[in-house]
Amino acid sequence: MARKGIAHIFSSFNNIVISITDLTGAETIARCSGGMVTKSAKDEGSPYVAMKVAQVAAEAAMEKGIDSLNVRVRGKGGRKGGSPGRGAQTAIRALVRAGMKIGTIEDVTPHPHDGTKPKGGKRGRRV
Amino acid sequence: MTKARSRSTAKKVKDKWKSKGWYQILAPTLFDKIPVAEALADKPASLIGRITELSLQDITNDFRKSHIKLFFKVYKVEESVAHTQLEGHTLTSDYVRRMIRRRKSRIDGVFDITTRDNAFLRVKPFATTEKRIQSSQKKMIREVMKKTIADEGKAKTLNEFIRDALDGKIGSEIYKNCKHLYPVKRIEIAKTDIMRQPTIEIEETKPVTKQEQPEEKTKELEIPSATPVSEKPVEETETKEPKTEVSEEKTTEVAEEKLEEETEEIPTKEDAEKPVKKKTAKTKEKKEKKPSKPKTKKKTEE
Repeated sequence: MARKGIAHIFSSFNNIVISITDLTGAETIARCSGGMVTKSAKDEGSPYVAMKVAQVAAEAAMEKGIDSLNVRVRGKGGRKGGSPGRGAQTAIRALVRAGMKIGTIEDVTPHPHDGTKPKGGKRGRRV
Repeated sequence: MTKARSRSTAKKVKDKWKSKGWYQILAPTLFDKIPVAEALADKPASLIGRITELSLQDITNDFRKSHIKLFFKVYKVEESVAHTQLEGHTLTSDYVRRMIRRRKSRIDGVFDITTRDNAFLRVKPFATTEKRIQSSQKKMIREVMKKTIADEGKAKTLNEFIRDALDGKIGSEIYKNCKHLYPVKRIEIAKTDIMRQPTIEIEETKPVTKQEQPEEKTKELEIPSATPVSEKPVEETETKEPKTEVSEEKTTEVAEEKLEEETEEIPTKEDAEKPVKKKTAKTKEKKEKKPSKPKTKKKTEE
């Protein structure tokens, strides 16, 4: 039963999505996102919700016989840039707490090698 | 509402789940077809074309190789076992990012090569230097990279080439050949893309012959890059003669020392005492002491 999977963690500022797949990445085994555990939209990206999401996803995956994971974290990426959001750390910790063995942890945020102009105009966003 | 919806989706997933089975994925022949992963699929045909990504650490249990990612593509399924071909490899992005620093140069290139068994692959070497270097120097180093990789590719089968690339042998080969231009700090094959699998079947050569091959290559390569035109014929004859390792090295050393002391860079202690030196001799000596193989940093894992 010792099967390995991949935990794809997408963590932006406003939400977190965890999907656990097999090692080819083609078959989803478990999936959970911020909206599935909380009602208020403003909480979806918070560390606490990230923890909950990770727990739900881990539980569902373990039921199906996955007990170790490679983790791939990504943030928003693209021209929006940035590293993984505030939920990523907690989510990984929660996966460990749920009893998953963690293999490798990798940041897979897509970074542009130079793309389009970021929004906000020449002088930036003026609030 | 939300609860109801989630329950219905869960039901659907569960039904699908039952129809799916686990398939074992075997590594390519290069890694002795050891089972490396398990994949889920409803039918064997849907497994074909999928790519698994693994670190070399997973296969060899060598934690120093955890920064190398390998891609295996499924091409054949027999019962519950999926056979894979190597699709290529990359270094992890954080490892590459760690090597790049300010005021240091980074040299990389993209070269297409055809191996001895007619596989076609794209090789991307990557090197860093201790200091910032001129773009003309970069250009020369890139030329050396190109030549070394092309020659290595011609002499080797795909599996041999990949094995040497992962071991860092090709890297150290390039290091040797471009040392006299500028001593690069680390050099690695950052990426390979296998675009055509081998079409000719060649039996793998024994490890004994494999060791001989690169030595011959170095001799040939050093000629155009390191030595002036007058020396060419002398060395070429040497490579053709079957000799032992030690004697070959010695003869070339002697020949080079005699003919041109200025561009000399053999790592001996006599070198330091010589009156004829280059300006960069000191820095070179420092670097020569370092091992030619690129050091791999230990990756701490949680």
